[in-house]
Amino acid sequence: MKRRFRWALAVLTVALAAIAAVVATTAYGGARSSGIIIDGTTGTVVNIDPANQYDYDSFTVDLNIFQGLYGFPHGAKLQPVLATGCSHSANLKTWTCQLRHGVKFSNGDPMTSADVKYSFDRVLKIKGDQGIYTLLSDLKSTTTSGKYTVVFHLKAPFSVWPYILSTNAGYVVDHKTFPADKILANTDTAHMIGTGPYVLTKFTPSQQAVFGLNKNYWGPKPKNSGLIINYFTKSSTMKLALEQGQLDMAFQTFAPNEIAAMQKEKSLTVHSGHGVVIRYLVFNVKRPPFNNLNVRKAIAYLMPRQTIASRVYHGTVEPLYSMVPKGLPGQTDAFKTVYGAQPNLAKAKAAMKAAHVKTPLAITLWWTPSHYGDASADEYAEIQRALDASHLFKVTLKSAEWAQYSGALGKQYGAFQLGWFPDYPDADDYTVSFYQTGSFYSNGYSSKKMDGLIAKERAAKTDASRYSYLKQMQLLGAQDLPTIPYWQGNMIAVSQKNVQGINNTLDAAYYMRFWLISK
Amino acid sequence: MTGTSLRTYLITRLALVVPMVLILLTLVFLLLRVAPGNPIEAALGGHVPPSVVKPIEHRLGFDKPILTQYGEYLWNIVRGNFGTTITDNRPLSQIIAQNGAATLELTFFAMLIAIVVGVLIGLVAGRYRDTPIDIGGRLFGVFVYATPPFFLGLMAQLVFGVWLGWLPTSDQASPLTQALLQTHTNIYFVDAIWDGNWGALWDVVQHLILPASTLGLITAGVFIRLTRVNVIRTLRDDYIEAARARGIVERRVVFSHAFKNALVPVITVVGLNLAILLGGAVLTEETFNWPGIGHELVLYLQDRDYTAVQGIMIVFALVVVAVSVLVDFLNAFVDPRIRY
Repeated sequence: MKRRFRWALAVLTVALAAIAAVVATTAYGGARSSGIIIDGTTGTVVNIDPANQYDYDSFTVDLNIFQGLYGFPHGAKLQPVLATGCSHSANLKTWTCQLRHGVKFSNGDPMTSADVKYSFDRVLKIKGDQGIYTLLSDLKSTTTSGKYTVVFHLKAPFSVWPYILSTNAGYVVDHKTFPADKILANTDTAHMIGTGPYVLTKFTPSQQAVFGLNKNYWGPKPKNSGLIINYFTKSSTMKLALEQGQLDMAFQTFAPNEIAAMQKEKSLTVHSGHGVVIRYLVFNVKRPPFNNLNVRKAIAYLMPRQTIASRVYHGTVEPLYSMVPKGLPGQTDAFKTVYGAQPNLAKAKAAMKAAHVKTPLAITLWWTPSHYGDASADEYAEIQRALDASHLFKVTLKSAEWAQYSGALGKQYGAFQLGWFPDYPDADDYTVSFYQTGSFYSNGYSSKKMDGLIAKERAAKTDASRYSYLKQMQLLGAQDLPTIPYWQGNMIAVSQKNVQGINNTLDAAYYMRFWLISK
Repeated sequence: MTGTSLRTYLITRLALVVPMVLILLTLVFLLLRVAPGNPIEAALGGHVPPSVVKPIEHRLGFDKPILTQYGEYLWNIVRGNFGTTITDNRPLSQIIAQNGAATLELTFFAMLIAIVVGVLIGLVAGRYRDTPIDIGGRLFGVFVYATPPFFLGLMAQLVFGVWLGWLPTSDQASPLTQALLQTHTNIYFVDAIWDGNWGALWDVVQHLILPASTLGLITAGVFIRLTRVNVIRTLRDDYIEAARARGIVERRVVFSHAFKNALVPVITVVGLNLAILLGGAVLTEETFNWPGIGHELVLYLQDRDYTAVQGIMIVFALVVVAVSVLVDFLNAFVDPRIRY
């Protein structure tokens, strides 16, 4: 009996080994498809409908399906897309745009001025929970003049209106398929009709977005035959899928140590280009001790930008000396000018002396572990180390989950971490958003001089004068110190060796133009 | 109370479900409201001013008194209206149909693995008590039971995905299979068979092996110990001795008499372990990027999406309560001594 049982066990073992061998020798379905690009991301799509889309991961989906009158089809320079151009009135309050002729939606419907007006009216009527409509807060009304002319009437002079036309708030949708007063469900792909190079053929929430080619596309044909975006909850799982060949590429977002590890792998290529994501420290300028300008100055003198960039982020970010990232017109390294490129202990001591506070001064810095990546903990540990080492400060770090943190910000915290991804890649978005009176983070900063510069910048009629005002705003921001910028992230994608064209899309516009990628 | 009829017992058991579910619903509601932050702040905070956030919160009723919100919440559930998620406007019914199906697929195969591995090792260990086979089986049982699912999952990914390269380490199927497979039931295993798509079926099976084994092995630990103990106890029973005395061959005594009877209590525990399996499924789904309902729960929790989290928790609670009631019913039918 015992012998028979052992024999049965042996047979079972051999059978299991045989199954394992078959599994081992059979390639599981990977990215071995002809011409279809399979991308991985750790992002989450909230809303695909442009009327309620206000996050980068949903934007990356929309970019393939929809287009605006303006956009960034090649590089970081704003260009007309569905328009051939726009002209403005002398007071910059009326913008008249001529539409491109012969553009069709992916279902064959012609794109006309009626669709453009419908799209803008729809965003303002729906006022979606994600808040994209706030980008159109200066729009009074939209009118049409014939099939190919659209006129935007604004409440105030707005020199960067064409940039707004490039955002999701300005994406043109087919008035026959999008309901006027409600958001289209993400899975309703039959009605998700735009003029972009791809058509969304299938969307499975938190799993996958599948795109086919738009046969009615008016522009150059994409360099691939389709696109699949696969969603992952963890970058480590995505990294494994990439290493196993299940993905052709992955974009957004690996941890810095994962990128460093993949740079050493022979089968993968790490692509890096200009980025526009920034990280900064915000002060509530009304709350002690940060209501003391000299205390803020001392922190600015001690900010360990280089250490954070090299030690925490392994060179995947660059030190940032302005709220405006490098690569955008009008940028100036204001903080380098005012506080120097390297930490300066002597000047920090002088600032604290002028502050008339007892040192080491106890301060609390807040950060969040659930919105800006795992490296945030190390980032703030480095800032704490640098400030404590000066013996001028005694730093306490506190953290909160994003859902709690985002509701508190300046209302409850004195100094806190924030990051920024632009609504549109222009210096205006990186200055007005932070320095205007009543900014979103409730930090109490208000400056008549700054508000005056903002008004002048928005009413500037030439790029040269606009950039001049933007530089003045950055310098004033560095002196008043409602915020301290410290790094600018690069745009990073990782791909298999046979994938081509990724470098053509890594620029300060921060658009992943999948249509330029092939394999 | 032993004289109570079976019908009375069943009615009492069903009636107890109502307060049980009500307590669960209340706890879920309160825990979410006690946690700081709300879905609108989570979505909009950090890029729009409070003046924009407040009207949206008002429109969604987040500024209503907590009792009013609770009343509306219960009323919606009574009407079977689980609502639409706040963050991405997704009907709860869709989450249950799509992601629930993925969880069902995972837990079904995990349970299958748990039963096969657990019962087999338990039987062998019990039969060869105090031999190296028994010690090995027991150690294995303790190890898999004590190991957290995410750790076992990570080890499985490392060994079979990275070092050996035998198996995929994430998702329900490869990207192309997911894109091309027609979904009839959202259970990919069934859908692939439905369409006779054998290539897809093989792909789905390969993707199932690591997550189902991880989840299954953890539950198998319980079955190993239970089966082993029952086999040892049964082999000592008088009727086994009597069978041997009658000259019945040992193989028949063990397989036909001892093993069959030893498995009866295991069947009860299989049902009760479903709750443990669902809890483990949340962690396993996270580890393997398995698009199940637990995976969605984690995502919506991060966004403080009240509607989604409440809906998913209700589904979890109802499944566990239903299975527990079913097990009680079966036990009551099988064992007449069980009555209130």
